[in-house]
Amino acid sequence: MSSVSKWGNLAQYDWSVMSPEFIILGVATLLSLLDLFMNKKADRRILAWIGFLGIIVAGYFVVRNTGQNVVSILNDMYRVDGFANAFKLLFLSGVAFVFLISLTYIDESKNIRYSGEYYYLILTALLGAMLMASSSDLITLFVGLELLSISSYILVGTRKQHIHSNESAFKYVISGGIASAITLYGMSFIYGLTGSTNLYVIAERLSSVFYDGFDFLVYFSFFLMFVGFAFKISVVPYHMWAPDVYQGAPTPIAAFLSVVSKAAGFAIVLRVFLISFGSLVSFDMETGQQGSVLVNTLSVYIAIVAAASMIIGNTLAMRQVNIKRMMAYSGIAQAGYLLVPFATLTVLMFEQTMFYLVAYLFANMGAFAIIMLVNRDQKTEDLKSFAGLYHRAPWMAIAMTFFLLSLAGLPITAGFFGKFYIFMSAIVHSSYWLAGIMLATSVVSYYYYFGVIRQMYMRPGKTEAPLKVPASIGLVVLIALVGTVAAGIMPDPVMQYIHHKFPLQQMFQPGGQ
Amino acid sequence: MSIPVTSYLLVALILFCIGLYGALTKRNAVIVLLSIELMLNAVNINLVAFAKYGMFPNISGQIFSLFTITVAAAEAAVGLAILISLYRNRNTVQVDEMDLMKR
Repeated sequence: MSSVSKWGNLAQYDWSVMSPEFIILGVATLLSLLDLFMNKKADRRILAWIGFLGIIVAGYFVVRNTGQNVVSILNDMYRVDGFANAFKLLFLSGVAFVFLISLTYIDESKNIRYSGEYYYLILTALLGAMLMASSSDLITLFVGLELLSISSYILVGTRKQHIHSNESAFKYVISGGIASAITLYGMSFIYGLTGSTNLYVIAERLSSVFYDGFDFLVYFSFFLMFVGFAFKISVVPYHMWAPDVYQGAPTPIAAFLSVVSKAAGFAIVLRVFLISFGSLVSFDMETGQQGSVLVNTLSVYIAIVAAASMIIGNTLAMRQVNIKRMMAYSGIAQAGYLLVPFATLTVLMFEQTMFYLVAYLFANMGAFAIIMLVNRDQKTEDLKSFAGLYHRAPWMAIAMTFFLLSLAGLPITAGFFGKFYIFMSAIVHSSYWLAGIMLATSVVSYYYYFGVIRQMYMRPGKTEAPLKVPASIGLVVLIALVGTVAAGIMPDPVMQYIHHKFPLQQMFQPGGQ
Repeated sequence: MSIPVTSYLLVALILFCIGLYGALTKRNAVIVLLSIELMLNAVNINLVAFAKYGMFPNISGQIFSLFTITVAAAEAAVGLAILISLYRNRNTVQVDEMDLMKR
């Protein structure tokens, strides 16, 4: 504080920790300018490669930030901690996969006319997701959330001539608008009760407000915010948009929504509720015992939401004939499983969530890459387009089998251990009913995952011609397959890595600059 | 003369409920978008009222409402743009006719 700069306090902050965000912002700006000055007819794939490079560089800076102490700038509006770094790496790798899938998707089908804006809107969406992961102030969290949402509304509707794409984009805007209004309404009450938008200050003041007879408002704002965030993670009170939007969206964007956008939703849910509601303690007048509100009261509702998502997602997925709708319902069920660690709140809550998200990232990205390839080849999104895939592209069929097994949670895949850890957390918490529902719905999910496998191996396809696999899709499938199997064979190193490199405790250290 | 904070909150609550009702029941897509704006404006009333009469009155509420207004404008612009591209292909703004996908 000795040297006085004309920038005042701003010059004191360590801005270098923000370099991943700055790089993504810079690349998105650069792409939009390049797109503006490029020849209209020119091939836009170069933009995709520049964007891809930017993602790699940003990933390098995130890796450089990991394992460091907490850095907080702008009064906790932006902070770097283990939680943020873990989620940022997840987003960056998810978007890298999406770029690789998009290269093939846009290359062949001419249905996205302005592919330049497609690429930089993915980057702005990524920027929003990264802000959501590394901020602990309601205002910046909200701006990040909306940056992600608004970019993805446009991305869903990029196939302007395609009537389903228009319709799904409009449905997405309407549901998203209502969801953000509900979230904001909840946030406004939290602000009114505590007089701050900083999550740590909220955490300090919420307990006293809770005792002063405003407990109803505290619960009310919790539920409003949870319903609003449920839209992003597509769990039960707010899941009905997912099937329609996934069906109408371009397939790479459906992959983006199902992995990156959902993970960003979990980032904001965990960040907001663990920090601001985590220390809220209720006092039982009769027994004189103190108990955490989040653990005792709210977790029951979260568990109910999780159970309802599993049941509805898995049962409705069985009836689908469109593969993207099926993946949407499967995504609703997966989000239900992902809420279980948050409902049970064991010591390893963060590691379990993160492991499952990583398993889900690999399995879903690989599956969507193959879905895109097959749908484009057969010109239909029907489940039947997978018929005879084993005879046309045996390696793709085998890889798809692994991805589906991982989503179903069967052994030698990452999904098995992901589900196993989550299942154990429910047992440890002695939520046997939740564990039971998890088990039962997993069995139900075998039906539709194996439906795809049956098509691939046992049904004759319309054609026996070998399916040509472009290099970028091959790369995505290879990386996803290696990740799925490696984390399925050696889950412990992955868990240890998450535990040591991304300590959750850092999240609870206020920066206080 | 001071008006108690509850009356502001009541106005906001009524506005929010009207907005939610409109967004869920109206058939015209433009009215649905307007209803969402009503819900967001309810939030702004809340924030500004809390910034003056809240438990800990301070300026952050007004700042927050500025952000909300900006973001709401962006969202409305994108929503209308998508509605126009939908209208070009379908010639309708009736929400209940946008049901091509479940069939």
